[in-house]
Amino acid sequence: MITRRDFLKSASSAALAASAARPVLTWAAGDSTLPVPGKEGLIVRSYRFLDLETPVEYFNTWITPAEHFFVRNHMHEPATLDPSDWKLSIGGEVDKPYTLSLAQLSKLETHSVVNTLECAGNGRAFQNPKVPGVQWQKGAVGTGRFTGPRLRDLLERAGVKATGKHVMFRGLDEVPGRVPPFIRSIPIEKAMHTDTLVATQMNGTALPKHHGFPARALTPGWVGAASCKWLTEIKVLDKEFEGNFMNPGYRWPNHPGKPGEAVKPEDTHPLTALNVKSLIASPGDGSTVHSGLLHVQGTAWAGEGDVVGVEVSTDDGRSWQPAQLGSERAHYAWRLWNFQWKAKSGDYAIAVRASDNLGHTQPTAPVWNQSGYLNNAIDQVRIHVKA
Amino acid sequence: MSKLSSAVVGLAALLAVPVVRLQPTSSSDLPEGLLQAKTTAACTECHEARIIVQQRLSKAAWTKEVDKMIKWGALVEPQDHDPLIDYLSTNFGVDKPEYVADRIASVRQKKTKK
Repeated sequence: MITRRDFLKSASSAALAASAARPVLTWAAGDSTLPVPGKEGLIVRSYRFLDLETPVEYFNTWITPAEHFFVRNHMHEPATLDPSDWKLSIGGEVDKPYTLSLAQLSKLETHSVVNTLECAGNGRAFQNPKVPGVQWQKGAVGTGRFTGPRLRDLLERAGVKATGKHVMFRGLDEVPGRVPPFIRSIPIEKAMHTDTLVATQMNGTALPKHHGFPARALTPGWVGAASCKWLTEIKVLDKEFEGNFMNPGYRWPNHPGKPGEAVKPEDTHPLTALNVKSLIASPGDGSTVHSGLLHVQGTAWAGEGDVVGVEVSTDDGRSWQPAQLGSERAHYAWRLWNFQWKAKSGDYAIAVRASDNLGHTQPTAPVWNQSGYLNNAIDQVRIHVKA
Repeated sequence: MSKLSSAVVGLAALLAVPVVRLQPTSSSDLPEGLLQAKTTAACTECHEARIIVQQRLSKAAWTKEVDKMIKWGALVEPQDHDPLIDYLSTNFGVDKPEYVADRIASVRQKKTKK
């Protein structure tokens, strides 16, 4: 168990590291990539803003270590974060607005949620036709144990008025030019859910800077954009927040059309929960393996639902066999899965599909939308088996 | 600069913050062309070229993106608007080969290289 003293100590260390290790960027010849301490091996979608993807072969543990966890930033990370200066305000449609310091926040009762966090744009690179945005392939997803006070407790202390219908989060990320700030809101029902947190810890230690130090919203089962990082303001609103990242950003068509078709903004609604999805972590796409017993492994998740089955096909989707689900489980977390297959020499397409308790099974093709969100099409790898 | 910012900058200097070099490579640099310099100036004020280089978009989609970015503060002279869209859709159109991303190098690898 982490004591308050331990947390504040690690928070201070994290803040110091965040400030001290901030690299000075210069454009010069000589090196081909920029080290990002603690994130070695991740796929670079962008350095500025920092967007890093996890290679699928790293998905062999139920909890994703922080150093392997993807990073999705819309803006520049806060240049400085001093835990002694940080404040969190709670206001808007409440009776008693108030402000908390990190020391005060850390005194509150905490709750832990193991949650699979996925960027809504994960899989965008596979949309056809191509759509603009960070070209995530498979790894803008990870599972962490998030710990912190319940958002509900913070809101109840302020006394939410009957007019309070949505809860807005504002972070400390630094906005360039006239870019709209990354502000979004969630409905009051989700905000008051006992599993929605103001997380101050990830995997048992203070949140790393790239993941929102010192506190982030954790809206479990929902798209990553609902879990605002570097949280500094919680505001109860009488209606959904109106801003770029609520509309036209992060919306889903009411009636998905044909690929490439334009959808009118009024025919869309905000993204909320993740959909059912699975990935093959091993063997890797394009790899060559020896014939014999082959362990096909991966992960499967379902947002607010539960994964009830994972099936694997080794014959290009003509037949499907059940995979064995791992024993580690939590409501919002992915399940590891494993499938043993006696592989004979030849070339194969291995595919995986998951089903959830809400009756959904992954589709063969992504549901078309203009931003490439929630691509949960069946994952497939091609391998060569040699004798 | 605030007192806190000054203190952090001072601390960072004392701790000899490493100067890290970013290499414009074929995967992260904007290609040659009449609009290379103007595109670099207009776009990389806020984000690096890699964000552009990984896109594969039609001319219509590039037009929407450029107009959105101008609204968000990208400085593009009116006479450069259409040539800039041509430059982007020519170099990062739907017919271009798949973009291959870099991976974060380890500090150990960096030291070994040197």
